[in-house]
Order: sequence, then structure tokens, then C-alpha cells
Amino acid sequence: MASGPTTRRTFEPWDDPKSKPILRVSSVSKSYGSVTAVDQLSLDIHRGEFFALLGPSGCGKTTLLRMLAGFERPDTGRIELDGVDMTAVPPYRRPVNMMFQSYALFPHMSVEGNIAFGLKQEGLPAREIKTRVAEALALVQLPDYGRRKPHQLSGGQRQRVALARSLVKRPKMLLLDEPLAALDRKLREETQFELMTIQEQVGITFVIVTHDQDEAMTMASRIAVMDRGRIAQVAPPTEIYEQPNSRYVADFIGSVNLFEGNYVGGDGAPTMRCAEAGCDLSLAQPLLVAPGHRLWVAIRPEKLEISREPPPPGTLNCLSGVVWDIGYLGDFSTYRVKLDSGKIVSAAEANRMRLTERTISWEDRVYLRWVPQAAVALLS
Amino acid sequence: MTFGAATREATRARWAARASLILKPLQSALDAFPPSRWLMRRLDRRALKGRLLAIAPPYAWLLIFFLAPFAIVLKISFAEPDVAMPPYTEVFALIEDAGSFFLSIKLNFSNYLLLIEDDLYLRAYLNSLKIAAISTALALMVGFPIAYAMARAPRRWRGALVMMMILPFWTSFLIRVYAWIGILKNEGLLNGFLQWLGVIGEPLTILNTDFAVYIGIVYSYLPFMVLPLYAALERMDESLLEAASDLGCRPVKAFWVITVPLAAPGIIAGSFLVFIPVVGEVVIPDLLGGSDTLMIGRLLWAEFFSNHDWPVASAVAMILLLILVIPIVLFQRHQAARQEAAR
Amino acid sequence: MRKYVLGVGAALCALVVGASALLAAEDKVVHVYNWSDYIDDTILKEFEAETGIKVVYDTFDSNDTLETKLLTGNTGYDVVVPSGSFLARQITAGVFRELDRAKLTNYGNMDPAIMARVAIWDEGNKHAVPYMWGTTGIAYNVKKIKERMPDAPVDSFRMVFDPEVIAKFKDCGVYLMDEVDDMHQIVLNYLGEDGNSQNAETLKKVVPVLKAVRPFVTKFHNSAQIEALANGDICLTMGWSGDMLQAKNRAIEAKNGVDIAFSIPREGTLMFFDMLAIPADAPHPDNAHAFIDYLMRPEVIAKASNYIFYANGNAAATKLVDPAIVNDPSVYPPPDVMKKLFVVTPYDAKLQRVATRQFSSIRGGE
Ligand SMILES: Nc1ncnc2c1ncn2[C@@H]1O[C@H](COP(=O)(O)OP(=O)(O)OP(=O)(O)O)[C@@H](O)[C@H]1O
Ligand SMILES: [Mg+2]
Repeated sequence: MASGPTTRRTFEPWDDPKSKPILRVSSVSKSYGSVTAVDQLSLDIHRGEFFALLGPSGCGKTTLLRMLAGFERPDTGRIELDGVDMTAVPPYRRPVNMMFQSYALFPHMSVEGNIAFGLKQEGLPAREIKTRVAEALALVQLPDYGRRKPHQLSGGQRQRVALARSLVKRPKMLLLDEPLAALDRKLREETQFELMTIQEQVGITFVIVTHDQDEAMTMASRIAVMDRGRIAQVAPPTEIYEQPNSRYVADFIGSVNLFEGNYVGGDGAPTMRCAEAGCDLSLAQPLLVAPGHRLWVAIRPEKLEISREPPPPGTLNCLSGVVWDIGYLGDFSTYRVKLDSGKIVSAAEANRMRLTERTISWEDRVYLRWVPQAAVALLS
Repeated sequence: MTFGAATREATRARWAARASLILKPLQSALDAFPPSRWLMRRLDRRALKGRLLAIAPPYAWLLIFFLAPFAIVLKISFAEPDVAMPPYTEVFALIEDAGSFFLSIKLNFSNYLLLIEDDLYLRAYLNSLKIAAISTALALMVGFPIAYAMARAPRRWRGALVMMMILPFWTSFLIRVYAWIGILKNEGLLNGFLQWLGVIGEPLTILNTDFAVYIGIVYSYLPFMVLPLYAALERMDESLLEAASDLGCRPVKAFWVITVPLAAPGIIAGSFLVFIPVVGEVVIPDLLGGSDTLMIGRLLWAEFFSNHDWPVASAVAMILLLILVIPIVLFQRHQAARQEAAR
Repeated sequence: MRKYVLGVGAALCALVVGASALLAAEDKVVHVYNWSDYIDDTILKEFEAETGIKVVYDTFDSNDTLETKLLTGNTGYDVVVPSGSFLARQITAGVFRELDRAKLTNYGNMDPAIMARVAIWDEGNKHAVPYMWGTTGIAYNVKKIKERMPDAPVDSFRMVFDPEVIAKFKDCGVYLMDEVDDMHQIVLNYLGEDGNSQNAETLKKVVPVLKAVRPFVTKFHNSAQIEALANGDICLTMGWSGDMLQAKNRAIEAKNGVDIAFSIPREGTLMFFDMLAIPADAPHPDNAHAFIDYLMRPEVIAKASNYIFYANGNAAATKLVDPAIVNDPSVYPPPDVMKKLFVVTPYDAKLQRVATRQFSSIRGGE
């Protein structure tokens, strides 16, 4: 869940100051009437990236993508592709292709016709068009479907035709707006991996919009989490998960327990005073803020250790409460624990044992512990 | 008062011509003709009862309002004119001969021969087809942008726009055509306006020309073109045009390779709805056209009213029907093929 | 099947007719089908007030329309007004019932000379009595004609049949009649032939005359000229006498500066009689007789003439008609003009086809 395939590990052009981004978005804004859909947004995307735009509904993902494709013109700012200013270039002249959420296949054309459409606009010779269409069909594993009409295909097949159509022109960048939203869960998971394989084969930069954080975590080399037209954080999936830079990001990706408190200095062992927890929480590192500064500690449920045994006295980061609710998820169980302060905290534990042997039950008094490195201190 | 009388006369003319042109049902009639025995064999016995009930009303409607009048007109087309009430001879007669009864059938083919011998009819048919074709093309040219604009208008306006398209239909067709006389005549509004602008010195002669006929027809039949086009265009997914643009297609070209093919069902339906009635149009050429606007509807009128030759009038109508049925059947085939493909 | 349907239909009709006959002697209503612009409405009101019979009034503007209806049958009309030659053919087809003279108390007012003339269509005057009569002549916009041709032969059919003359008026609009028979008969008479010729070869002589003037004709029509002339949209037209005089009056009332004149051409022209008759299947024959009888009252028919500018065939009424009309030679022509007026008998089917065909090809501008 937290990291992509191993091959990606070494691929981190965004950390390389010499790498020139293929796409550079600089302080772009777009408003519809009084609604600011995209607000002073800046972003660099590098060649070969699989870049995911993630965010709640209405946060401006589609708007940003449509500006990249050229369907909308930014009110302010600049969009540069491979060093060329694209801001005023119409869509039909941009070396960028988009895969539409609705697929937008031309219903009156065969699958071949759809895929060949973009190539014909370039005026390629018929022979080349033919081979490239065949290649594209092979790539999406639909070699025998060329003569069908879109309405004779299943949803998943249509989605792949749409992908082939947008890839066949070998654009510098492929934009995908929730490409998998219409597929059922199982097909979606299969297709995620297919998409990744294809992206590696063709080496084109992908920018994908999604609602689904699992999808983003699985596929993306980097994720941009958006909030009301702005970017909250851009980082590789692991970092987004492990090192969120704000409560917003921490809360948006996965589930998290948040504790609010005030910074207590201390050189070796910085802590936070927290009324909700009923005790001081220790922090992994000292922070560059004055004592008394307000801050939050975020901790993921699976990082909490739950036990009925009271810890030895003096153990740091130890909370106690009563089991309020237990959720059985198959691989995991989540325990909702009501602290003495009334705050509810979630803890997840892998079900290493059979259910019948579970030792913790409703109304039990339990103790929650974690190592300081498992928690993240947030200033906003 | 003259106005009222002419109105009524024209209305009558219109209906007389229309009555013999109930075309749409014919096509279904032809489809339906290899009749119920064939159906019986195909339908499971039990399923049949329910289905029969369901299909009975349209068939009854067809029988009463199309096939029966059609049979009567067909019969009259084989009769001879006569000074009598009604003014033609009987085709079927029951003859008694020495206690036995015989059904005598007397078919007179000379009405059809006349249509072949006198090239007036051929020219009138051709000219009607020509006028209908040109009018259809003009209506399409005028109607398409209107339908397009309607389909792309904000959703909350569309209902009102459709309403505005239909609204003129609530007033009498004839009054609207008469209004055009007022606009087009030499001292009319249009000439007055153009002269006032100084575009022209002398008034243009528009009324009583073919041009006026085209104006009248396009005006009167425009909704029949616009509404099916609108229906087709409104259904069209706008993202298709964005997809085309995204794939490198300029907007003008996208119009031809995406919008037009997808609007094809609307274009075909609209064209038929304009073309077919215009072929038999009587009133507009009579009121707006010159006396040399030769159209088959007018000829039919003359046969019926001036010559009192109902048999020839019927023959004219039968041939007109045949001419129009061919494209309709072709259209129907095309439509059936599409539906098959769409399944 | 059809027989059966017809049988049922006939039975139903018989039932309805029978039932209505039983219900009352006759409903207090009479259905009249007359030419457009052809009556003073107050006459209808007064008839209704006096007799209690309601008049349902409907109009047509061509004999063809009327004839087609009559031949189809079941018109529902009680009184119709065909012109003479059409009446003749319709009588042959069995359209009309014979008049019951006993119910026509005013019959004696009719002019015997006129009755003799109309007897060529209706032997013994059995089926119809004349309502009005008139002529087909020429009407024109005095000012516009004078501007274009100061010495225009306004009292001659040369105005419309001589290409050199009519050409001068093309720009201001010329209408001719759209009546197949009338146009043939008038042109033949203009050529010095027998207007009533029943010979196909003779009829052909009409073609070159009309073809030569066709390019200058705006339109062929029977009723549109009243408005067009009165509004100044056209400057020259053939038309029926009373209609043209109505156009003249409308222009005067409209005070639009249009001055219209009508003339009976000196070559002579067609005289028509519009005849009151009762269809054989009229639902209210008694009321029909009452209506026709009412119209034969001198003071009533004089009022009608005063309103529509047509001459009637009622001898007793002449002294009651407005002197301006009686003395108008275009309405009550003097004896020398009267001599040149002619009446015609209908064409048979074959000749009718020849005439119609010729006329449509002329009208079509071939
Ligand atoms: N054409 C438009 N006219 C007016 N407002 C618009 C238009 N398109 C988008 N908006 C508004 O801009 C904001 C951003 O919309 P956008 O479609 O970019 O969101 P999104 O992130 O793609 O949401 P979702 O996940 O629901 O697709 C929304 O508030 C939306 O209502
Ligand atoms: Mg979106």
C-alpha cells in the first residue's frame, strides 16, 4: 500500500536539481464567476513520471487537467511544456492527449477508426497508420476488436480503446481524468497494474486525476494533494503517507488519530502537552518553535499497539481507555477506544490469530502505546 | 371577406391534396402487408394473444385511415369521368344474367396513359421534386445553425427555445403565409426597408416568383427540420468535440467529421419531414408563387376542381404516392439496418 | 366489407334524417353557400328576425369549388349559387331538386327577359332563379394607367390581350382571371370567333393570344384582385363587374388616393348569371324556399344590388335600386352594349380537358 514497485525507487528526478521538468505550471488561476476553481497553483512534473492529482470533489482537479489539455484558458499564470509556452495554444496543437472520464469514443466510428483518428489529423501515410493502430491495439490487449463499434464493447474494453486512442499519437504527456472510475473494484485493480505496465513500456509522462487514494498510492510516482484550488503537498506516496505536512493531508490520506496540544521545549526529549490524551506526548525530534506553540500529533491506527496489560510505569506515549467498538475487516481489526477524556482513538491490529482467540473485547480497559518515531508532529 | 373565402378555399385545397398524400402510414402498411398469417406462424401461440391486442390498434388505425382511402383512390383512378354524383363511373358492378350474378370489373387505364402521353405531368412531377429538394436543402442550411445554437444553449433556456420554435404553429398557417405577402410585395415591408436603407432604388420583385415560394416553404416547414435536428444534436456528447480537438482536429473539420455524422438521423428525419409534404404543397405556391410555378399539387387541384376529372386526379395522386414511397422505403431499410447495428 | 359498411352508413343516415323529420317539421335553420362578398349582411339579419329561421352562411370564390362539393354530395347546404353554365352541368348530374313554385310567392317579380336567357341552362326554369348577373370586364388604376399610357384603350380587351399595350403595365402589376372556361370564351369573342364555340380546333386559337401576353401577367386569380387593386398593388386586372366596383369603393373608403375604374370592353364580353338553387339532398328544403322567396322581394334584392353593385334579375326591383347604380353602364349596360354580351353552355368532358390543359400550360408560362 505504501510504496510502488521496486524499479521506481531510484526514479526521483524531482530531487535532481539538473533535471528539467517536462511540465511547468506557474501560478495558474482559474475562476468561474465567484468560484475560484484553481488558485495560484504552481507545479513541476518530470519526464516519465506517473503523477497523481488527488483531492476531494470540487477541489479543481478536472479544471487543472483541462487547462493542461487546452480546453480552458487560465485567467492568470503560465503553462510550459518541454520549455514551450502552451498557455494560449489551442488543444489541437498541443502535444498532449487526454483520456476522458466518459471515454468520449466516437460512436459512429469503429475501434480502428477511433484510434486512427488522431493519426489521420497528422496526415500520416495510411500504411503507417495501420501499423500504429495495430500496435496500439496489441498494447491494450484488444488485437481482434478493431472492426467493432464502441457500443459493442464492454466498459473495460472501451476504457482500453480510449487509452489506445490517446496513446497512439505518442504525446509528450497523457492526461487521464478518473480513467478507472467506471470500472468495478476488481477490474479497477487489474487495470491499475496494466496502466503502470503500459506507462513503463511507452515511457510517456502520465498525469492522472483520481478520487481514490489507494489508486494514487498504488500507481503514482508522486502525488499532489489538492485543497480548494491549491496544492497542499506534493510528494511520493510513502512520504505523503508517512510525512504529511498538514492535518489536511494526514486526514485525507488514510485514517489518522490527531491530538492537539502545546509544545513543551526540552532538548533531548521534546514533548507536547495534550489535554485530550491526559498526558504529555513525546516527539521524535525537537521543533523550531517557541514553547507553548500550538501543534498536533498525527498517528496512524496501525502504528498503535493495543494491549490489556498496563504498561510499566513511566512508559512514554501511553494512553488508556475503554473499548468502545470493534470493527472486523478480515485482514485487520480496528478498535475504537474511548479515552478517559472522552476522545475516541482508532487502533488497528493485524489479525494474526483466529477471531475466536481474540483476547480484547468490548468494555475492556486497554492501553495504547507507540514509539515516538511513529508519530508526526504537525504545525498546521 | 374575400380574405376569409380564399382562406377557406386554400384550406380545402390543402386538405384535398394532403388526403391523397398520407404517406407515412403507407410505408408501414407495405411493411405490414404480408399479413397476419405470416405473423401467426412466427409468434408462439400463447404469446400471440397479448401481442395481437397490443398491435391491433395501430393496424386498425392504418386500415381505417390509410388503406381504406388508399383503396378508394386507387379504385377511382381506374374509373371514367361522368356527369353524375359522384362524377365517375363505377368500377365494380353486379350483373344479373338469367338468374346468375356476375361481378363485372371495368378497369380504365387511360388515366395513367394520359399521364405518360402528356409531358405536362412529368414536368410537374420533376419540378415539384426539384422545388422540394431545393427547399429541403435550404431548410437544412437555415435549420442546422438554429438547431445547433438551441442544443448548445444553457439547459434552462432550451425549453423556451423549443417553445419559440413551435409557437408560430398556434396561429393559422394561412395567416402566416398571407403575412409574407405583406412583407414581400413591391410596396411591402421588405422593399420599403431596403429602399429606406438605400440598398436598392427600385423595389425588387420577390412576390410571385419561385424565390418567394422558397421563402414561404422554408419558413413554414422550418420547425419540421429544426426539431429532429435539435433532438439529434442535443443528445450529442460535447466531450466528443473536445476529444476530437484533443486528437489534433480543428473545430471546422470536427464539425464535419463528428457533429454532422452524429446528427445524421436528425438530418435524414428532418429532410423527409420537409421534402415529402413540400412535393405536394399547393397553398404556398398558389399564394406566393407566380402562375408559372408548376407543381404537381396544383395540377392535381386543377384535375379535381377545374376538369372535374376525379379519375385522372386519382391517378396523379397514385403516381405521386409511388414516387414518394420509394425513398421512404429506402429510408426505412436504412433505419432498420441502423437499429440492427445498434443492438 | 365495404358494402356492409356502406349499408350501415346508409341505414344510419336514413335513421338520422328520418328522426329529424319526425322531431319537427324542419329545424329553424337554413344553410346558405354563396360567393364571397356577395350579400349585405343586414339582409340575413332581417330574414332571421322576420322568419325566425337562422341563416348559417358560408362562402366560396370559384364555381369549381362549389361544383366539386356538390358532386361529392351531402354538402348539408340548402341554398347554393352556381353560375349558369355550371348549373347546366350540375342539373344533368342530378344535383338539384325542382323548385316548388307554390312556395315562391314573389316569383312574378322576375324579369321575363332574364328568365328566358337563363333558360338555356335550365329548361323551363325548373331548378333555379337568378340572384345577380354581371360581366367580366377590365378594371384599372386610373392614375397609373394614365402615367404609363395616356391614350390607353381602356374600353377594350386590347388592354390585356394586346402584347404591346399590356407590356406597358407589367411593372405596376396585372392580373387575369383564373377561370379556364371564361378565359377561352372571352378571348375567342375578342378574336371575333364564336365565344360559345364547342370545337377543339377553335379553342386552340386562344393559345397564341394568351401566350403572347403571359410574360406581362403577374398572376391569374379570381378574388385576390379586389384587395390588390384597392391597395394599389396592381394597376390593371380582369374581373367581375361587381367585384371591381367593390374594389373601387374600398379604395374610396380607405382614402388611399387610389382611383379605380371599370369598363365593359367594346368587343363584348361574357355575361354570367349566378343562380339560386336547392341541392336534392338539402336538409331544409322548406326554409330554402323561404330564403329564395325572401330574396325575390323587390326591396330586398334592390338592397342587395345597392350593396354589391351587381344587377339583379328582378323587374320589380329596378326602380328601387340606387339610380347611381342603375345608370351605371357597367352594371346595367345600355341596349347596344347588352347586344354584345353573350352567354355560354358548358364544355363536355373532352373539351374541358383540352381547355384546362391549354390554360395550365399558358399559366405555367411554357
Ligand atoms: N464550467 C464551469 N462553470 C462553473 N463552475 C465550474 C465549471 N467547471 C468547474 N466549476 C467549479 O469549479 C470547481 C472545481 O471543479 P472541478 O471540476 O475542477 O473539480 P474536481 O476536482 O474535478 O471535482 P470532482 O472530483 O468532483 O470531479 C467546482 O466548484 C466547480 O463547481
Ligand atoms: Mg473532476
